[in-house]
Amino acid sequence: MSVPDYMQCAEDHQTVLVVVQPVGIVPEDQFFRIYKRISSVNQVNVRDTQRALFIRYRHHYPPENNEWGDFQTHRKVVGLISVTSCSSAKEWPQTAERFHGQKELFGSTLYDSRLLVFGLQGDIAEQQRTDVAFYPSYDNCPDVEKRVEDFVESIFIVLESKRLDRATDKSGDKIPLLCVPFEKKDFVGLDTDSRHYKKRCQGRMRKHVGDLCLQAGMLQDALVHYHMAVELLRSVNDFLWLGAALEGLCSASVIFHYPGGTAGKSGARKPSISAATDTGKRHRPGALTTSGISADTSSEIGRAKNCLSQEDIIEKYKEAISYYGKYKNAGVIELEACVKAVRVLAIQKRAMEASEFLQNAVYINLGQLSEEEKIQRYSVLSELYELIGFHRKSAFFKRVAAMQCVAPTIPDPGWKACYRLLLETLPGYSLSLDPKDFSKGTHRGWAAVQMRLLHELVYASRRMGNPGLSVRHLSFLLQTMLDFLSDQEKKEVTQSLENYTSKCPGGMNIITLPDGLKLPPVPFTKLPIVKSVSLLNLPASLRPHKVKGLPGQGVTSASPFIYSPITLHSRGDDRTKKIDFQWVQGDVCEVQLMVYNPMPFELRVENMGLLMSGVEFESLPAALSLPAESGLYPVTLVGVPRTAGNITVNGYHTSVFGVSSDCLLDSLVGVKSSGCTVEVVPSLPRLQLSTSLPRSARLCGEDLSSSVCLQLFNGETQQLVITLENIGSETLNTLEMSSKTLTTKEKLFGDFLSWDLQDALSRLPLKPGQAVTVPVDIHAKLDFSGQENLLQDLNDDGISVTGLPISSPLRQVLKPRPENKQKTNTEGGTEGHSGEQKINRGKKNDTLEAVLNFRYSGGLGQVEGYYREISLGVKVDVEPSVFFTRVSTLPASSTRQCHLLLDVFNPTEHELTLTARNQQLILHSSECQRMAIQVDKFDFESLPMPSHDVLRQSSLYQQEEERQQAHGGQINSTLDLRWNIISFSCQLLSSLCSSGEASVEGVLTQLVLEHMQLAPLQWDVLVNGKACDSDVVADCKVGDAVPLEVKLTNRSKSPVGPFSLTVVPFQDYQNGVQNSELQDVVTFIGSNSFYIDSVSPAGNSTCVGALLFLYTGDFYLSIKFQDDSVGRDLPPASFCLPSVHVRAQDPA
Amino acid sequence: MAVCVAVIAKENYPLYIRSVPSQSELKFHYTVHTSLDVVEEKISTAGKAMAEQRELYLGLLYPTEDYKVYGYVTNSKVKFVIVVDSSNTSLRDNEIRSMFRKLHNSFTDVMCNPFYNPGDPIQSRAFDSMVSAMMVQSS
Repeated sequence: MSVPDYMQCAEDHQTVLVVVQPVGIVPEDQFFRIYKRISSVNQVNVRDTQRALFIRYRHHYPPENNEWGDFQTHRKVVGLISVTSCSSAKEWPQTAERFHGQKELFGSTLYDSRLLVFGLQGDIAEQQRTDVAFYPSYDNCPDVEKRVEDFVESIFIVLESKRLDRATDKSGDKIPLLCVPFEKKDFVGLDTDSRHYKKRCQGRMRKHVGDLCLQAGMLQDALVHYHMAVELLRSVNDFLWLGAALEGLCSASVIFHYPGGTAGKSGARKPSISAATDTGKRHRPGALTTSGISADTSSEIGRAKNCLSQEDIIEKYKEAISYYGKYKNAGVIELEACVKAVRVLAIQKRAMEASEFLQNAVYINLGQLSEEEKIQRYSVLSELYELIGFHRKSAFFKRVAAMQCVAPTIPDPGWKACYRLLLETLPGYSLSLDPKDFSKGTHRGWAAVQMRLLHELVYASRRMGNPGLSVRHLSFLLQTMLDFLSDQEKKEVTQSLENYTSKCPGGMNIITLPDGLKLPPVPFTKLPIVKSVSLLNLPASLRPHKVKGLPGQGVTSASPFIYSPITLHSRGDDRTKKIDFQWVQGDVCEVQLMVYNPMPFELRVENMGLLMSGVEFESLPAALSLPAESGLYPVTLVGVPRTAGNITVNGYHTSVFGVSSDCLLDSLVGVKSSGCTVEVVPSLPRLQLSTSLPRSARLCGEDLSSSVCLQLFNGETQQLVITLENIGSETLNTLEMSSKTLTTKEKLFGDFLSWDLQDALSRLPLKPGQAVTVPVDIHAKLDFSGQENLLQDLNDDGISVTGLPISSPLRQVLKPRPENKQKTNTEGGTEGHSGEQKINRGKKNDTLEAVLNFRYSGGLGQVEGYYREISLGVKVDVEPSVFFTRVSTLPASSTRQCHLLLDVFNPTEHELTLTARNQQLILHSSECQRMAIQVDKFDFESLPMPSHDVLRQSSLYQQEEERQQAHGGQINSTLDLRWNIISFSCQLLSSLCSSGEASVEGVLTQLVLEHMQLAPLQWDVLVNGKACDSDVVADCKVGDAVPLEVKLTNRSKSPVGPFSLTVVPFQDYQNGVQNSELQDVVTFIGSNSFYIDSVSPAGNSTCVGALLFLYTGDFYLSIKFQDDSVGRDLPPASFCLPSVHVRAQDPA
Repeated sequence: MAVCVAVIAKENYPLYIRSVPSQSELKFHYTVHTSLDVVEEKISTAGKAMAEQRELYLGLLYPTEDYKVYGYVTNSKVKFVIVVDSSNTSLRDNEIRSMFRKLHNSFTDVMCNPFYNPGDPIQSRAFDSMVSAMMVQSS
């Protein structure tokens, strides 16, 4: 006997063995259908008795096992049911023959047999035979079960007769010696008459009868017989049979204690029938104590005596096994006994002892086992370990079994079976194949063992021809065991993964195995590892802004308080936090991930994109290559939201080593995020800005979309044409423009930027693809005043003065020379040189910066109240063009006019022409010249006064400042100072001309202004009724009375006066001598002094006198105030009366 | 003496496992892993009886053809497993006990290290050298 039945259990001793076999050609599925129906009849209550017969069916049974039937009768084939197909009567004899042949095989032991014939109809089928049943087809055989029951009853009758026969055989002289096959030769020539031999025969027979009793349902009798057999056999040291008797005792006791069976669920008996058979006879072990007073006390006691206790069962099993162990040929019996004992122990929950039995079973050598038997053996060991709760051990043996399936000695390795068995080991190694179970912190487990198992799974699935599975397992290995893989292993694993994926790319689908196991997808969240996720705002020019003041906005905060110092602390809830900027539908938006590559080689990540929800989103995947063991590496993923709403970043997808994975942020550990939900506003138009000037580097500190940079001479104007093109998909409806000049240290005069938007606005709405242009004038006008240090160098001596010859010592030096800065440069020869030095030192390019803002909106976004801003930075490097180093005034001949003297310096490297009104001045590089311009005095009072609210807001000082500025502007516009740089040598070929304005605004001081101001008191002197002014010579005749009229018009706001004036005539000899002693030459008719009463504002007053010239000659009349202190509160210019030049001629 | 020494956490994952370099490490992983079945069984049966005065030393867990596996469980359910060559018959139970006691002391030292995070693999040099000494004695 070499084939162990690992499925055996103790109660199998109670059963009779029936073999069901096909005869001839029977379709396998049909046979097993019939077999199943037959097997359902596994317990038959025999008529007229209260006993039950248990039947064990086998469709395959090795005849050599049958030979052990005397040793343990449940191993004996006592019944045969043959199943055959027979379509015609012609085949019948042949079939019948075969049936007989089969009977021969088990002939010696068979009690009875049956033949089930399917398909045969006709005469033969009509005949009534007990051993043959005819059925028209496999589907039409309603009484198979009944037939089998009848068959079983017939077996019972034989069994019962045998039992009775043997049990009552005591009287017979000779008891045959029962023996197992390998013993037969040992007993040849043995003395059969010895007492020892007889005892042995008796003992063995007793044991055999015990077996029969057990099978026949007479448990108590069996126990008694076994007890007797044990005693008999023990005395003759017949160990093998002693073992069998002990085992029989154990089996009977087990059957008594555990009527439910020990085989587990599959072999569970029907307890109802079992209970019925035991009615009144059999009690549960507990019943002994609870129902102590039973009807038949004696039988109870006897039963309790014979039956082994639960502990004894194990002891006896141990003993039996130790006896079996003495015989090499009884290995199978020993092994099966171990298995049975383990099942009993499992029920008793005595795992430790069970494991000892199993440990013993492992070492039982059954000689040469076929590979299949080995697999079966290991599987059963695994199952038994599982049964006693040793999951790890179970997994170990299962894995060994799996490996056995594909042992190199097997010609046709069963990779599928191997794979299936390997899968079953997973729980034992606490592996789940679901990557989610490994995402919580560091992996804790038997990494070495688990990795080995995964490798085996990969290999097995590959050999199975299922690359998809191998990819999944390999991905899992890489993802979960990354920390435990050495660098070399990482390389190997990824290489093989790439090999597999070239055939079958890995994906995110769930793989379902044929047995229903689902393999969840394995996203590579560690390749690369993502450390932080941050959503990026749109570039400044594309950000949407909400129009302020729209209803339904602003009151979004949950708290009713505008400000609360208590910030709601929401820890770990960062991901759901909403971000305070918006994205725009249809515009590319970005998410930045900080990733790193844990692999010791370059990691190529392909098709990396975002997983979004909430809004229709078009992801634009990127490919990246991360260097080996890189540090944190920023990766920007982009996409376009296609609809408006709230969008949430759920995760990202990658494709690494041919495996595409969707990594959800929720399942990632240690990812920092500043919120993943952002609002997407409806689409807005998009403007692209281009300018006629080349772009330049960005201005620092400002968030600008673009900027231009240009270089201008002070006062120069340049036009900048800005082209705005709608490159979006929405129509642009509104466009606004504003500018902001950034604060500079320099004082700026005039508008820096001026533009005309009318033309562009007339072209709205702007359809996608269309463009508008906006011309912008850039006007750089800074202070033209020269630096202080230049002043000291310009002595009057070295300067040629154009314009009016300086004839009057009245010239005022308005800017005081800063004496403390004076240096040692008085020598004329070194003057120019040192001046130049200073200029170079003092020359600094000033920069002007401004930002042009275009605010535009359109499309759906406009409806929602959003707009966009695009800004252009303008940066101008202002180079100095001319300097006015000193400004002064000279009174002109007319009181209404004056001369403005400008010391002009050319700091450029070029020749420069300065024009003012009708004058022109050519200045060479670093030359300084004086220019005198005759200007009418200004009536500042006529300038519009700033409005009252402005006045109220600004301080007095500011008002003054503003007024001065306005005055300066007026003066400047009158002067119309322009410069022209002729040779612009920087440009090599074309001699371009630069021209621009110059402004004196910055150099005008209060004093100069006062001098240039038209006096608020206008004095008109009329001689002979003709108005006299500086240049006008009034003619008169000697001897005639010349009427002199002095008229005062008050243009100031307050009444002035009274004044008293004195007219003093004098003669100028043009040599610096003035003769005022003219009492003999000129006489006054009347008084020579006038008295003007106070004049109310806008009023005038006139006083009239007369002169009489007695001689011919040129006379001047000087009109002076008698009392100087009168008008101290008025500017001196107010008291500047025109001098009167009268030429007296002969009356002829 | 010992051919493999392992420290296993309360949750039954290895904190430390070291074997003699001459033999396959994986084999010992399997051996120690399967021995946990027995350890658990022993704890569950003994634990019920007298949880307090339970002896830490579990004795021989199971013998294999080549090795004997001994177990020890601390009160905090940390398991120590020592695998000994079966050929070394001179080894007494007492010596095994003293080995476990030494191991336990050294493990306590490791746990006392404020920089050690309970549950992390043991990477202490002192512990390492103690285990080395335990294994060197054999040959």
